[in-house]
Parts: sequence; C-alpha cells; structure tokens
Amino acid sequence: MTEATVAKSEPLVPILANFAQDVFDTVREPMLVLDAGLSVHAANAAFYSTFQVSPAETERRRVYELGDGQWGPPSLRTLLEEIIPGNSVFNDFVLEHDFPNIGMRIMLLNARRLNDHFVLLAMEDVTDRRRAQGLLNQIEAYAQDVVDTVREPLLILDGSLRVHSANRAFYQTFHVVPEETERRLVYELGNGQWDIPALRTLLEDIVPTSSVFNDFELAHDFPVIGRRVMLLNARKMRQSNHAELLVLAMEDVTDRRRAEAEVAKAKDAAETANRTKSLFLANMSHELRTPLNAIVGYSEMLQEEAVERQLQDFGADLQKISISGRHLLGLINDILDLSKIEAGKMELSLETFDIATLIAEVASTIGMQAAKNGNTLEISHAPDIGVMRGDLSKVRQGLFNLVSNAAKFTHDGQIKVLAEREEMDGREWIWFRVLDTGIGLSADEIVRLFQPFTQADASTTRRFGGTGLGLALTRRFCQMMSGDVTVHSVPGEGSIFTINLPATLSEPAAEPQIREGAPPVALLPGLPDEQPLAAIGTCVLVIDDDPLQRDLLQRFLSKQGYTVRTANGGEQGLLLARTLLPAAITLDVMMPDMDGWSVLSALKSDPALSDIPVIMLTMVDDPVRGFTLGASDYATKPVNRYKLSRILQKYICLHPPCPVLVIDDDPSARALTCAVLQKEGWAITEAANGIEALQSMERERPSLIFLDLMMPKMDGFAFAAEVGRRPEWRSIPIIVLSSLDLTSEDRRRLNGNVETILRKHGDSRETLLAQVRDLLDGSKAARMPLEQPMELTV
Amino acid sequence: MTTILIVEDNEMNRDMLSRRLERRGYDVLLAVDGATGVAVARDRKPDLILMDMSLPVVDGWEATRQLKGDRFLQNIPIIALTAHAMANDRDNALAAGCDDYDTKPIELPRLLAKIEALLPAFAVVEGIS
Repeated sequence: MTEATVAKSEPLVPILANFAQDVFDTVREPMLVLDAGLSVHAANAAFYSTFQVSPAETERRRVYELGDGQWGPPSLRTLLEEIIPGNSVFNDFVLEHDFPNIGMRIMLLNARRLNDHFVLLAMEDVTDRRRAQGLLNQIEAYAQDVVDTVREPLLILDGSLRVHSANRAFYQTFHVVPEETERRLVYELGNGQWDIPALRTLLEDIVPTSSVFNDFELAHDFPVIGRRVMLLNARKMRQSNHAELLVLAMEDVTDRRRAEAEVAKAKDAAETANRTKSLFLANMSHELRTPLNAIVGYSEMLQEEAVERQLQDFGADLQKISISGRHLLGLINDILDLSKIEAGKMELSLETFDIATLIAEVASTIGMQAAKNGNTLEISHAPDIGVMRGDLSKVRQGLFNLVSNAAKFTHDGQIKVLAEREEMDGREWIWFRVLDTGIGLSADEIVRLFQPFTQADASTTRRFGGTGLGLALTRRFCQMMSGDVTVHSVPGEGSIFTINLPATLSEPAAEPQIREGAPPVALLPGLPDEQPLAAIGTCVLVIDDDPLQRDLLQRFLSKQGYTVRTANGGEQGLLLARTLLPAAITLDVMMPDMDGWSVLSALKSDPALSDIPVIMLTMVDDPVRGFTLGASDYATKPVNRYKLSRILQKYICLHPPCPVLVIDDDPSARALTCAVLQKEGWAITEAANGIEALQSMERERPSLIFLDLMMPKMDGFAFAAEVGRRPEWRSIPIIVLSSLDLTSEDRRRLNGNVETILRKHGDSRETLLAQVRDLLDGSKAARMPLEQPMELTV
Repeated sequence: MTTILIVEDNEMNRDMLSRRLERRGYDVLLAVDGATGVAVARDRKPDLILMDMSLPVVDGWEATRQLKGDRFLQNIPIIALTAHAMANDRDNALAAGCDDYDTKPIELPRLLAKIEALLPAFAVVEGIS
C-alpha cells in the first residue's frame, strides 16, 4: 500500500524503494508517516499490531482522530504542530497516554521530517522499562534505608573520589553534617584532615585494580574523634546510569585492637608471674630444705643415741619428729620438682633398665603398706617383658605413686600391677596399669586429679593425704618422656591408672606440654589429647633434631620476645604444629627420622597448617655456620591456581603492574605459574635457572620471586644464598615452589646442595639468627606490601 | 682405722655426719670448702672422701676433678653428696670423676652401704703410694 508513497519521492530507484518498504515493515517499532495535513499517509506492520487497529480505520485519517479521537493528547499536538515544523528531527519525546485497546502506555516518540510533505513518527513503547525503573527507584530507596541503618560508617564515592553520599552512621561517627560532606573530594573532608597517605594508596593504587578490597587497616588521628583504627572494606558498585561508585565501609576496631593488646599484655604478665612463682618456689623449697635436713638428721642421730643409752621413752618421740620431717621433706621435693618442670629446668637422664626388676622393686616397697590395709598385691606381665629406655627414677616415681595411692585407698581389696609391650603407629610402647578395687573417683575428682595446686578441698586432702602433687608430677614426668598417664574409675568399684611410655626414648623430648585444663581421659600414646588447646597461635615452633641448635634457637628467639616450643624431629614437629598452631615454624633441613622436605610437604598439604610461615634452615657446628633458605612462602608443585592466589593475597602490589620473576627450568611449570600471575595483573619475567635469574635481576629488580629449587646450572639454594648476600635484594619475598612428592634421590640432591652451600658460603651463626629474626618479624605482618612500606604504616 | 674426709660447708650437716660416722668407728677428717678439702686430702690421704657439691671457694665438682687429676690421690674413692636428687647432678658428679653419689638428707644405712662398697678390702697403709 505504501509503495506508491516511496515511489513518488524516488521514482527512479524502485529496488531501493522496495528495500525501504521492507525495512519499514520489519522494524519492531510502530511507525506512522503523516502528510502535511497530519493525516496518516502510511503505517507499518508494527503499528497495526501494537495498537491493534486495521489499515482501514487508520490510513488517510487525521492522526488525532485515530481510535475514535482518543489519539489527541495535547502533548502530541504540541510535538506535531509546534516542535516538528521548526526541527527536521526530534528525538525521545515522552508521550504518556491511555490509548484505546492497549491502555496506559508510555511511548518515546522520534520524529523525522522526510521532506516538506511527510513526517515519519517512530514510537517506542518504554512502559515496561519505565516500570522497571520505578521498581529500581524503590529498591534504591530501600537500599538507602539499609545503608542508613547499618552501624558501620559508609562513604560512597564517585569515580572522581567525590562523596556521592554517606550514611547516618558516618555522620554520627565523624560528627559531620551532609552539607560539609556531599560532593566534596574525600581528602578534603574535615578541613583536609582526611588526606591520609594510606587512604590515597588504597583509593588510587589498590582499588582501581580490584573490585573488592577487604580489611585495609587505617590508623589515623581523625578530627573531633581523635586517634582511631579503622578497617576499610571497599566495593565497586555500578549505578543504573552505568557510572561506577565506590562503597567504602569502615569498621572502628580501635577498642578491639586495644583489647587485643591488653590481652597480650595480660598474658605476658601472667606468664612472667608464673615464671616468678616457679622461681620463688624453687628457691623457697631449697631454703626450707636446709633446716629440715638438720631436723631430720639430728632427730635420727638422737634416736640412735637413745637406743644406745636405752632411753626408749625418747626414742618413740624422736621417731615421730624424724618421720614428720621426712614427710615434710617429701612434699617440698614434690613442689620443687613441679616448679622445676614449669620453669623448664627439669631434665631427663636416660638409661636402659629391666622392667620386671622395676616393678618388683616398687611392689616390695609398697607391699607392707598394702598388707596393712588388708590388700593383696599381684604383679602380672609377660616373662620376656624385657627392658625399656627412659628416665628410670621418674618412671619409678610415677609407678610408685600409682601403686601407693592404690594401697592407700583400697581396704581389704585387690591391687594389680600389669605391664605390657605393644606396638602402635610403628613404635613400641610400654603400658603400666595399676588396678584397684578401692573407693574410686567421681568424674569431678578425675578432672582435678592431675592438676597441681588445686587440691584445696580439705576433705580431699584428708582422703588422699599428701599435697596432691604426686599425680600432677607423675603426669608431667610421663609427658616429658613422650607418654602420659590416664585414669578410668567407677566410684565405689575401683580405679585403673595407666602409664604409657615409648619403649625407647631416643633423647630428651621437648619441654612437656603443660595442659592444666585437659581432663585426663584415655589418650592415644604420645598424641596430645584430641581437644584442641586454647588457641595459642603466637608461639614459634622450632623443629630440629640437634638439641644444641634447638636450645640455641629457643634462647635466641625467646630473647626476641617469642614464645618458643621445640620438637626433636619431624613426627613430633607435625604433632605439635597441629596442637599449637604456631605463628611460625623453623624447620631443620636435615634430620634423620623425617627430613625437612617431608615435614614441609606434610605441613603444606594440611589445610590447617598450610598458611603457617615456615623458615627452613640448617646449622652445623664445624665451622659454626648455618644456612637459611630465606623464603617467605612455599607452595607445592604442580601449582594450583587457588593456592597461588591465596599466597598472592599476602603481597600487595602498590603500583601495578609489579614486576615478578618466575624461575623454573621446566617451561610448562613456568607457564602454569605465569598464567595465574598474568591474570592477577603482574608483569612477569621468566628465567630457566639461577644464573639467568640473577642476570635478569641486574636489569630489573622484581617485587616478588617464584623459585623452583631443583634446576640445572644454578639451583634454588645457590640462588637464594646469592640473593641473601645482596642487601638491596634481601627484602624481596621469595616463594619457593617444590615438588609435592620428592623422591629419595631428590632429597639426597637437595640435602647435598645444602651441604655444599654450608661448606662454600654458609652464613655465620649471628647472621643466620638475624635472618631468622627478620623473616619471623616479616611474617608477623600478614600482608606484605611490596613497595613503599612506609606509607602503609601511617 | 679407716679415715673418711667430709668436705661440707654446712656446719650442722658436718657435725651430724661426723658424729654418726665416728660412732660407727670411722676416723673423720673435716674440710669446709673445696680448696681445703683438696689440701687435707693431699696432707692426710683419707681412705674415702664424702664430697658436698655446692661448696664455697672451689666447688665439689672442681675439687673432685683436681683430686682425680692427681695421680697420688686419684685412687681415693669419692662419694658425691648433693642436696636434691636431680638426674643431671648425678650425671655431673659421675662425669667429674666421683665414684658414687648420694642425696641429702642422708639416710645413714644407705650411705654406709655405699661407703663399705667402695672401701678397699683392707685399709690403705700410709706411705705406700
């Protein structure tokens, strides 16, 4: 029908005319072509379908008459009669009208004069879109309510870092009003007192490269409210008009930080007090013993004289003095032992001894006491129970304690002493069990049984006699020997006390685990109980087979203010690591039972432990030298994207792209690492061995190094040693990548390399210790900025 | 007569031990510190020495080392006496050359047994060395 229209304007190009007609009918927007008298010259298919009308009731009608005159809104008249004549084009004229058939619609009209005769009117139905916009506005209002309700101060910034808005909490927290806040540059807030270098770093360097930023700590002396520590979380938010806003949420952690500091201080004070107490007890008990020795000695001497001179009356009284004196002496000795253990001064003296002989000795000493209460004492063990290695006097004292208690609290009953040898976890254990049919213990009593200084209940003291230190001591002794003592008991029926000790204690174990709070329920041999300790998390665990190096590191690190725990090998180290969750671990590379590499691999594959910084080092005595790998982190190959990202989170690149050096001889392994780094926006340099890497570093100093250990030409160790020797390179964090499953050949090679380095250019002990201290201090700051560290400490 | 040298700085301990040993028929010599102890041993060559370990001037470990380093005196048995049964005390005493070790307060029967075990079957005749 409109072919004629188009043909009239361009009669010479019918193909183009047909094409235009096709377009006209294909577009989804309703279109009208009006003539100069505003009558409909033509309408397209979309028009008819949208307004549900036919050509017959449309063509050649005045536009206002369409749909029985309902197409005559004044605004349309304004557009057609006043605006169009003066403009050849007019866009986005909003027409909101209750149309016949289709009801209330919002149309966007675009008008275009085709020539002097015709006007093309294109309509776009934006009703739905406008409705959605309305909903969006409601949501925004709702969001604003939420924003105003949260207690965290929120600051919303636009792309030019001007304040778009802030929430009520912000105004209240910082004592400001919207007038002095909105539309201002964030740095200008509070008369320029918000111009904080660290905030600039966050907003200008860090935020632009990542859409989310969490827990950026900002300590600052704010106007009005004074010095505060704020944790900033930043999030980018897209607005409906596509502009990007930055939501800055602030959490005031001043009080929390202060409380944390106070807790740490209180803990230090408590530890100091405890050490002072132990020292006091040790000194006091020593001072008490000297006069007591005289009392005991002279009363015994007088007893002898009384016998010689046949003064029986004196003899009995003198005996009472000496027995009481010896009893008092025993108590003082127990206190001294316990305070020595707590002060870490108790040592083990190892010897190999016959188990049957030990039991017979203890039984014969207590036999009289048992018989006095009408008890039978029975001993039972395999005839070939054999020998064990441990501290004989402590094993004897423990066993004596248990049997003596059994004899004391059992009347007209049975006492059995059993011994067994058993293999568990590839280790031989000796189990001593003391069974009695005595009064038994309640659950409450069991909990307090092994705790020193808690036997405050006078009735318990009367029942048990003594100081109540005997069992506490027994437990500490057993734990010193990598074992423990446990109890099962039913009140009124009897008790079973069990001592378990390794059959062969190779060397003095680490200082005993003081576990006051742990109820002494049955434990696996050698394993600290399943209940996790109260998170210590602040100590450094030293894993080293050499007692001298262990001692050296312990003393050095203690002096630096670290709480130190030690382990004598890989097995014990892993055990302690899981129990203590230390803040950092120092690990000897070369150990006999399980070398450092295996321990490292085990640490890194345990999710609970994989984030604990590990410092690998080794020391030799001749000459006095040592070596530390100086690495900030370890990852096992093949690198897993998640693991690598996690490590990278610890290093903040202030001015991206930061240069990173990836050193690996295996191109495919390098590619894997690089792929992840590239994604995170690092500028990567690659090197196939240490020499190449050093050459590259001469040209450009990287912010971070990924280092494979086993490489030809110059391996990871030599490289690390070289980097450590250059002061300008020493602070570059090195992340060591090592294979998860090292073969024994690999290990031999690694250890051989360490030995070579020790021989050739190992560091002096002082230098090594200083390095360890620096590495530990570095690992305390969990997030390590790669450049300009000063700015972050503002 | 068997002669025993007691090296002990505590007057009461010295007094008690010497009286109890004398009552059992031993001749007792006394010294109040390590240096005097070594001098008395050189001078009088006792059959056995009871050595307290924490002594003034020269301590028991050092005195023992000096005695055991002297070829005229090294055969005299020395029993170390220490205040408390610490395992390392015993090890240290034995390492310094003591022949045996006992703890204070003295349990006389036990100490006598140790003394008898260390004394030669017949008393050393003076002047033989």
